[in-house]
Amino acid sequence: MNNEISWLPEPDEQNRPFFDGARDGELRLQRCGDCGGWMYPVKQRCQHCGSTSLDWHAASGRGTLYSHARLQRVYHPRHEGRLPIILAWVDLEEGVRIATNLVGCDPAEAKAGMPVTVTFEQFPDDAVIPVFQPA
Amino acid sequence: MKHPMNSAAAVCGLGLTDMGRVYRSAEDLAAEAVYLALEDAGLAKSELDGLLINAGVTDSVSIPLHITLGLKELNVLTYMQGYGSSAGQMIQYASMAVANGLANYVCCVFGDAPLKEGQRTGSAYARAGRRNAMASLYPIYGFAGALPMYALAAQRHMDLFGTTQDHLATVALTQRRWAAMNPRATKREPLDLAGYNASPWVVEPFHILDCCLVSNGGVAVIVTTAERARDLKQPPVFVRGFAQAHNHDVGLTGNDPLIHGPGARAAPRALAMADATLADVTQCQIYDCYTYTVITTLEDYGFCAKGEGGPFLAEGRLAPGGALPTNTGGGELSSFYMWGMTPISEAVIQGRGQGEERQAANDLIMVSGNGGVLNYHSTLLLSPEAA
Repeated sequence: MNNEISWLPEPDEQNRPFFDGARDGELRLQRCGDCGGWMYPVKQRCQHCGSTSLDWHAASGRGTLYSHARLQRVYHPRHEGRLPIILAWVDLEEGVRIATNLVGCDPAEAKAGMPVTVTFEQFPDDAVIPVFQPA
Repeated sequence: MKHPMNSAAAVCGLGLTDMGRVYRSAEDLAAEAVYLALEDAGLAKSELDGLLINAGVTDSVSIPLHITLGLKELNVLTYMQGYGSSAGQMIQYASMAVANGLANYVCCVFGDAPLKEGQRTGSAYARAGRRNAMASLYPIYGFAGALPMYALAAQRHMDLFGTTQDHLATVALTQRRWAAMNPRATKREPLDLAGYNASPWVVEPFHILDCCLVSNGGVAVIVTTAERARDLKQPPVFVRGFAQAHNHDVGLTGNDPLIHGPGARAAPRALAMADATLADVTQCQIYDCYTYTVITTLEDYGFCAKGEGGPFLAEGRLAPGGALPTNTGGGELSSFYMWGMTPISEAVIQGRGQGEERQAANDLIMVSGNGGVLNYHSTLLLSPEAA
């Protein structure tokens, strides 16, 4: 491991459960304790009902591909030597739409509506982020 | 019964600075645009009693502009922000202000200067390196600025409806033909399909030629009552109808925001105010941050069914001599990118009949403003004739 490269800023108190979840192999998202609605990214207040009673829970990690596109330019060290990266917006079963990447998929095979499931990518500095692959 | 805002207000002044690599501050460009608009309208600075301000990506023009301009007795003054829908919104609020006696002459001004000497054009819009870990995920995944999301939007349209790369290309090529007739356009050299296909990918399905320009410049538009406009230097361009519509959170499922934009809700209300139908519209000035935006906006407005935008424009309909001339100055793709002021300024030029060799039928001009990723929308209907 190359610990000199920091690709991801240190998580803060608000978002640490998301990144701890990824390290544990879990897509962990906020859910409202009152109405049960899920949300992403980090919220202070439930965007469905206004409650401040929010907790972190494991989401199913299952969803469908809302859309996709192929990144052909390097915007971050992670993209070096990996183009095209498949940009994806995934509709999770929990009702949340999340910006991510589609991996393990021929770009020509990606199609809106295809079922996908979460997987995880480890960075050189040991940080872990969720990405998605064909189900 | 005629809507009270139908033809209550009119555009009486237009100021456009040089566009593109003009290395001056956004505020100075905005100030110059206001002076140019006053001169265009034949108004003295002392007559201007309203100022609405919108700033672009550099967000560096605000309330202090009235001090820079030495405007001493304003009755309306505010900074507004609705991203790409702002310019259309400013015309709407200015129209309501003059129609209700808050002010006599309201200048709506936009200024931006994202281009710096020696810097790549795209860098101002690709904001990366946020310190918050959650926000940092976006550039890490490759979502830098609005461009990737519009590429996803175009790809979804392709997946659902069979829209092709050639359809996207048609928008770029058609608008370049218009730009060749616009002396203010930055890109006037001819463009063919081979040239489009040879331009580099940014986020596929977008070549660089699917993306708008990045421009420094300023645009100002002065709005007054229909009565006052008739006595001024320029032919009035009447505000016949307008509306706004804004999307809810696109980060939740159960809606299809990349395909069904808020323009679909704004258009019928704007047309109702104007007591008109789509069949009365003789030309369009559509916010074209990307080629796809033109396709989806024309669909949202109802010029063709959702999904049929590609074949609709492939027939040359938007081109010079076509049935629905659109983005007659070359649009944001080929003329200059002043957010919503690009389509509005061309609509004013066309509405006055000052389009010279690119002049198209101007009976009723439909103008769109689009902000965020198809989130925020304003629609205007302008005409040389009052209702």
